[in-house]
Amino acid sequence: MINQTHFEKLYQEYRVLVFNVALNYLQNLEDAEEITQDVFVKVYHSLENFNQKSSFKTWIYRITINQCLDFVKKKNSQKRFFIFGKKSQNEQEYLNTATFEHPGILMEKQEEAKILFEVINTLTENQKTAFLLSKLDGLSNPEIAEIMQLSVSSIESLIFRAKTALQEKLAEKFKNYRKK
Amino acid sequence: MEREHWIQNVMSSTNGITPVKPSDTLLSKIQQKINQQNKVSPKTVWLAAASIAVLIVLNITVLKTKDKTKIETTTAYQEMTGNQSNQLY
Repeated sequence: MINQTHFEKLYQEYRVLVFNVALNYLQNLEDAEEITQDVFVKVYHSLENFNQKSSFKTWIYRITINQCLDFVKKKNSQKRFFIFGKKSQNEQEYLNTATFEHPGILMEKQEEAKILFEVINTLTENQKTAFLLSKLDGLSNPEIAEIMQLSVSSIESLIFRAKTALQEKLAEKFKNYRKK
Repeated sequence: MEREHWIQNVMSSTNGITPVKPSDTLLSKIQQKINQQNKVSPKTVWLAAASIAVLIVLNITVLKTKDKTKIETTTAYQEMTGNQSNQLY
């Protein structure tokens, strides 16, 4: 069992990081809080087994991203169970950004940010993770590579492909934007 | 040109994003969750272990009984067929 004061210190240090990664990933305040709770409960139970091969920050990033991915999969499978529907190719069916306003984004940028998050959710899991960590968390490619346990060149390629896909999808969206 | 400008605007809409703080009650919720998970009493653990042990014993008993019946049936069958095959004339 870990020391309570030590745990509280860790919580104070990493709570904003965990909460914001979850918020950027899920675009929902309640879900981000739920993920933050689950991440710290997991940290509490597995801290003794933390082998320090990677830094604590990398480890906590990894747990948060995995929790987010599991959460999305769980939500999608629950939804599929109720509507007896088919499995989708991306996370779009759970993630609904149409009404979400990110509290950390400037008021005058909210409309554009909504469109951006909507398009980000159509990316593949790895492209989305790499792009969010790079663009919103401001992490370097080697840092992202360590978190995602991939090579730096793979991360470069993922981010490049994510940006290309986003630009293509935004070009499509522009047609509808113009019609309005 | 207008399209490129719009795409660029959307792509840069998250620039200057500020970190959001979670609610102040979150730590107490986490501690509550941890305490709930820690509260598995030794009595429950022993009860689960005893149930598993009973299941194993029952399984072994059933398997042994089955084997015994199989041996008895095989012997009886061999005796019957043995008698028939001995009739050489």
